[in-house]
Amino acid sequence: MASPGRQGGGGGGGGGGGGALSTRGGGGARRMKWALELSLGNTRSRSDRQGGQGDVVYPIGYSEKPVPDTSIQENDKNLVEKRCWDVALGPLKQIPMNLFIMYMSGNTISIFPIMMVCMMAWRPIQALMSMSATFKLLESSSQQWLQGLVYLIGNLLGSALAIYKCQSMGLLPTHSSDWLAFIEPPQRMEIMGGGMVL
Amino acid sequence: MAKLILLCLNYMILRSTVEAVFEDQVGKFDWRQQYVGKVRFSSFDTHAQSSKKVLLATESNVFAALNTRTGDLFWRHVDKTGPEGNIDALLQHGQDAVLVVGNGRLLRSWEINVGGLNWEILLDSGSETVDYQAVYSDGNGEVYAMGVVPHSHITIVVYSVEDGEIIKQVSVEAPWLSNIQTSCAVIGPGMLTCMDPATVSLYMLDLHLESEMTQIPLQALGLEVTPGFHPVLVSTQPNPARQPLSEFFLQLGPEQYLLLQLNNGQIVTLRDFKPAMLASFATAGEKTVAAVMSPKNKTACSINLFNAETGRRLLDTTLIYNLDPNGGKPEKLYVQAFLKKDDSVGYRVMVQTEDHALAFLQQPGRVMWTREEALSDVVTMEMVDLPLTGTQAELEGEFGKKADGLMSMVMKRLSSQLILLQAWIAHLWKLFYDARKPRSQVKNEVTIENLSRDEFNLQKMMVMVTASGKLFGIDSKTGSILWKHYLDNVPSNAAFKLMVQRTTAHFPHPPQCTLLIKDKDTGLATLHVFNPIFGKKSHITPPALPQPILQSLLLPLMDQDYAKVLLLVDDQYKVSAFPSTKNVLQQLQEMASSIFFYLVDSSQGRFSGYRLRTDLSTELIWEVVIPTEVQKIVSIKGKRPNEHVHSQGRVMGDRSVLYKYLNPNLLAVVTESTDLHQERSFVGILLIDGVTGRIIHEAVQRKARGPVHVVHSENWVVYEYWSTKSRRNEFSVIELYEGMELYNSTVFSSLDRPHAPQVLQQSYIFPSSISTMEATLTEKGITSRHLLIGLPSGGILSLPKMFLDPRRPEIVTEQSREENLIPYAPELIIRTEWFINYNQTVSRVRGIYTAPSGLESTCLVVAYGLDIYQTRVYPSKQFDVLKDDYDYMLISSVLFALFFATMISKRLAEVKLLNRAWR
Repeated sequence: MASPGRQGGGGGGGGGGGGALSTRGGGGARRMKWALELSLGNTRSRSDRQGGQGDVVYPIGYSEKPVPDTSIQENDKNLVEKRCWDVALGPLKQIPMNLFIMYMSGNTISIFPIMMVCMMAWRPIQALMSMSATFKLLESSSQQWLQGLVYLIGNLLGSALAIYKCQSMGLLPTHSSDWLAFIEPPQRMEIMGGGMVL
Repeated sequence: MAKLILLCLNYMILRSTVEAVFEDQVGKFDWRQQYVGKVRFSSFDTHAQSSKKVLLATESNVFAALNTRTGDLFWRHVDKTGPEGNIDALLQHGQDAVLVVGNGRLLRSWEINVGGLNWEILLDSGSETVDYQAVYSDGNGEVYAMGVVPHSHITIVVYSVEDGEIIKQVSVEAPWLSNIQTSCAVIGPGMLTCMDPATVSLYMLDLHLESEMTQIPLQALGLEVTPGFHPVLVSTQPNPARQPLSEFFLQLGPEQYLLLQLNNGQIVTLRDFKPAMLASFATAGEKTVAAVMSPKNKTACSINLFNAETGRRLLDTTLIYNLDPNGGKPEKLYVQAFLKKDDSVGYRVMVQTEDHALAFLQQPGRVMWTREEALSDVVTMEMVDLPLTGTQAELEGEFGKKADGLMSMVMKRLSSQLILLQAWIAHLWKLFYDARKPRSQVKNEVTIENLSRDEFNLQKMMVMVTASGKLFGIDSKTGSILWKHYLDNVPSNAAFKLMVQRTTAHFPHPPQCTLLIKDKDTGLATLHVFNPIFGKKSHITPPALPQPILQSLLLPLMDQDYAKVLLLVDDQYKVSAFPSTKNVLQQLQEMASSIFFYLVDSSQGRFSGYRLRTDLSTELIWEVVIPTEVQKIVSIKGKRPNEHVHSQGRVMGDRSVLYKYLNPNLLAVVTESTDLHQERSFVGILLIDGVTGRIIHEAVQRKARGPVHVVHSENWVVYEYWSTKSRRNEFSVIELYEGMELYNSTVFSSLDRPHAPQVLQQSYIFPSSISTMEATLTEKGITSRHLLIGLPSGGILSLPKMFLDPRRPEIVTEQSREENLIPYAPELIIRTEWFINYNQTVSRVRGIYTAPSGLESTCLVVAYGLDIYQTRVYPSKQFDVLKDDYDYMLISSVLFALFFATMISKRLAEVKLLNRAWR
């Protein structure tokens, strides 16, 4: 079952009449770079299709699927670069927001601050774990390594912030009192007993 | 503002410790048993035909009325302890009972229906100390109170019954008389008859004439007294409105009674009863009978009635009294006689035995009720875990046995699993069966056979040792007596020490308790070894102890049968071990250098520490002498050996740790000054290491006086004393800390402790005097501690330890608030919801025993004194159990509803997805 939307889109592209060139960017299926559309018009073809598929034979070069435009324009390079910087600076941009949330949630231990801290800690960790995927995104950029570094630093800063928050909330076992429960009672070396003379 | 915060803080803290019971929880976990003590006088209420009362006046200074049908108390009056409240005489007069109280100081009249006081008169006359010991009335409106000045004269005061006014007062010479109660009786028309064992003669005095006493030697009557026996007179006054009968009993020997008659000044023998254990008079209507108990065979006695006037035996009046093999011999006989429809005399008897038990019997020998009055004087007790059920024991036993082949092991396992399954099905069936019955009919009778540990170990066996020498095993859940054992020939001033040598954890070895009984006069001691679950004497023969024993010491060492080793120190400071097998002696030799013991001789003020040598002799290693002219050692408290401390330190506000000084060998010694003048008296407390004798801390409370009550636990000592300066009761708490660093966190040795601990102390005012004090105890020591304080009013107060904390700040800071410290306030308030026994007053609390249960939150408490009260306390609330009123129905129905909702919505979502796909 062909998707009607896509076909319509294709038709829209070549609205002028026969022999229109469609240039569509798309990384999906492999297509011929050039495709010739020899149909008379959109309306016609649609009504034909509705009338019955068996009657109409598509002309040579007709493609049912839209054809992607993969041409690269002049300013694309800059756009990619910009986009990659956006990705790389994303974690750093979140820090002021996080600081604000941290300030607002306070140091009391209750369900909402804990949830916030968890989110704050989890997001950078998640990002760090999927570093390779991010690097793939940045592949096309020329400053790939710098951007990767910035991205890493941003995430590390984010997790440091989360740890600091934990620390200020007293969730980190940094004091001796946090290990008190694990101290075993000392073994007694002498046995002693007695009392008043009965 | 600060005050407001403080108030809020206080409120929150107090809120968190509220632990009063709800109304529907009353009696659910707790029970109380009320006792009266050993009976001294008893009188059946005869003034109404259908009366069910028997009045008892006891040696514990209690006056009570019992229901003769059930043995329950109608009412009870508990007087002061000691000679002040001593009941010297009881006389029932219609609806009133007249008592002589306080060694002849007071005359009291009680209304016996409701137990109200009619009137009270002070019997103080003259400068001499007259000891009023007997009352007599012949019903003409006069009451004769007879007092004696020992070896001088008898004083007789005559009062009017109506208003208690003195009518006349006389004194008669009687230089041979020391005690009226034991040697005198009023016979016939007001003849006071006394027995003088020295001259073996009777003295007689007519109370109405107040002449001289006349002497009648027994030999003149042809009677002979068993040598060394103090003859006893028993007379009867059937009706207080009339004069006593002229017949009376004279006991000439331990098993010989004579029925005598006073006839116009002449004494005539009516009948000689031999052998007769006990004799007593009783009256029904106009008839007076004499009941005589004589031995029948080894296990039973028979009681017969005789006509008092003739001494002839009445037909069909035999009553068989079966002797309890675990009880004592009968000691006193009280007879309630009544007229049957055919005008013959019927009777019931109340028998008091040597072990202070009361039994009420009716013909032909049916026991209607028994009361174990020995329990009014519990000396010491222990709680022992119940054994596992038979099936559990079966499984345990399987692992205990030696392996013999793979196949048989598998078969054994299968069979025991089968037994378990069977037991489980039987249990389910019982549950199902019981669920259909109404709740009141379901009775889980606890007997010694079906006794087993419950899942949280909340039910235990209370082993109680009483002063009379009777041992009891009581089920802690219901309070029913499961076994009793009377140890005859226990001296009256014995000291007892009860030790659990083996718990129930070592199946198939039976649990084992050892009771050390020491005669204080001779110093000689005996051991009674028994099974605490069944009360049976163990087949293990305890060692004979020819030397006087000073102290005993239960070591954590075990012999090959898992019994803890008991060391007994004799007066030569030699040690003997029990059990003393080769294995034990070998272990002792290896361990000898680390076994220490201390002895305190308060009469000499000597406090000495000894070390065990390998040949079981001892060497004195230190000695502290407290000069007895200045102060005396009152008590000494170590820590309880089964106490666990979970937390080794306290968390400060800045989240650092202040480590506790947990010295297991620390002893708290309390001294009181011998000078009791209120300006110079003092109370001292010494904290001494029992191994090295090193004095860790010394505190002196000036202008203070005992009695001092001490609790020593963990790293703190709490004591209570009377401040003579401010005239109030004060609490003081000492806490010991090691500081911010632990010296040695793996082992504790008293011999290697270079640093002295930090000592903190604080005192508080307590609004009441106290009778006894104990701390709660839980399995792992995680739960916060409470102090259980027995008050003279009969309440048991559960005071959170956090109120007695020397770190309570005077000025509240951020850090102290962080630490949850309550700001210091000098007064400790008694809050009514802290009374764990709500309105179940426990009279004369002498001791409180605490034991951990299987639940960390729960501590079992037994308070004993005149009454016994058992309950559970939850110092940190029940954090490990769902509440009693937990709504299982709601929760489970919500869960099911949610489950079905998810199922349905999942199905709906699937259908919807499919439909959308088709579109």
